[in-house]
Amino acid sequence: MLSSEKRSLFRFLSIYLSSTLLLFLLATFIFYDYHKHEIIDIQNSELGIEAEHITQRLRQLNQTFTKELTYPYQKPFESAIYNLDKEYIFGSFKPSNILWNKEYYQDENRLFHIHPLFPYYLGASHLIVSKNINQDPINNLIKMSILFLFIAGIFFTLLGLFLGKLFIAPMKESIEKMNKFIEDTTHEFNTPISTILTNIELIDTVYDCEGKQELQRIEIASKTLSRLYEDLTYLKLNHNYHREIKSINISNLLKDRVEYFNTLIESKKLKVTQHIDKEVVFDIDKNDAIRLIDNILSNAIKYNKKEGEIDIILNMKNLIIKNSGIGIKKEDINLIQNRFKRANSSEGGFGIGLDIISQVVERYGFKFTIDSVYNKSTKVYILWKK
Amino acid sequence: MEKVMIKSLLISTFIITTATAEVPAIIQNNCLACHTKQKIPSELIYRRYLLKYSTNTKIKQRLFSYLKKPNKESSIMPKQFFLKFPEKESLDLNDTILNKSIDAYLDYFDVKKKLILP
Repeated sequence: MLSSEKRSLFRFLSIYLSSTLLLFLLATFIFYDYHKHEIIDIQNSELGIEAEHITQRLRQLNQTFTKELTYPYQKPFESAIYNLDKEYIFGSFKPSNILWNKEYYQDENRLFHIHPLFPYYLGASHLIVSKNINQDPINNLIKMSILFLFIAGIFFTLLGLFLGKLFIAPMKESIEKMNKFIEDTTHEFNTPISTILTNIELIDTVYDCEGKQELQRIEIASKTLSRLYEDLTYLKLNHNYHREIKSINISNLLKDRVEYFNTLIESKKLKVTQHIDKEVVFDIDKNDAIRLIDNILSNAIKYNKKEGEIDIILNMKNLIIKNSGIGIKKEDINLIQNRFKRANSSEGGFGIGLDIISQVVERYGFKFTIDSVYNKSTKVYILWKK
Repeated sequence: MEKVMIKSLLISTFIITTATAEVPAIIQNNCLACHTKQKIPSELIYRRYLLKYSTNTKIKQRLFSYLKKPNKESSIMPKQFFLKFPEKESLDLNDTILNKSIDAYLDYFDVKKKLILP
């Protein structure tokens, strides 16, 4: 699966699953809350029944004139009686912070029921009945809710994957077609370009013929085509390309690439100044490094004035390539920078060169910046580490 | 002879004191003396007050005003009660002693003291 497909699928799944999860969480919470209240109501009704029972016993006690009056107490219920001034009379417990304005209430562990009495048997105007909340049905409800969420989560994840793949199938097909086209086209390019370049080199070496300038133009055009081929192949293979990360001497590589562009440089009569530190070495795939340098260099040459200048600075900190070119307008620089930041999002489509630079920079954690004065110069920085 | 009389007086005083030891003298003298004699159920009256007024403060107010001027209409007991028992006469007690007697009465029959857990 291509990284763009993965990204699209991941985005789709993120939105789909998070919204579904949110909806299910809400539904489960409402379901849980409703049933919890139902469970509490059932337990409250038990308190009501016990309150009626105790009231009957208090009525009997009020008519009993023995030396001792046995208070009606039956576990698991605790109860207490209070007079009209809400003073404690007697009970099996003495609750604190009574919410007198509520008929039923609960604290962390207990349920309470305030049962008004009239007439005031034994002087009691309020009877408070309480019992521990039976957590078992609530725990079962929690377990059931979690299980429901879990099963729904699995089901909707699988459904999301299926739908996602279904949605990205046309995109995948288009990308595959495009890749196949590039592959076929570039393959067809390779042989004639190689033939042209080899023969130009042969003519230049073996024959001392006239028309050197024309030959040089053919060489430049062929090299441009060759680089285009390399870039297209790179983009095509980038997703599945096996990179060989090893220590590369960037100093030597940069000199080689400048040499490679020599024909092009000479044709534009550019003056190249090189400040290349020796032994700038770090771990990178050689092809990635070549593509990065080639694209920056070719732009510096392409968008330069005739008889212009190119300054190349390389050290352990960064690579700077400055030209005395046509420059870039300020708004265009912002556009490039913004697009560069979003280069790996599905935007794309603003030039193969910049796309390749952005891919290499992102892969290795480099930093890319561009400064330009319109009609004067452009300076490209590659900071090796962020 | 004198010695025998003194001895028997002491013995009878001891017996009476022991027998009425749990009842405070103020209730015994000001309330129970007549109630016991006329077989008027004191605790039942207290419970009726409790049933209607709930708190000792309110019971005390009602009881005080009734005892100052007793009549059938302001009595806590039903009218049928007076078919069997005589209507109460006004007590010849000053307010201080009457208040103390009511306090002692309420304390003596207080249900809080009688209630126990099984």
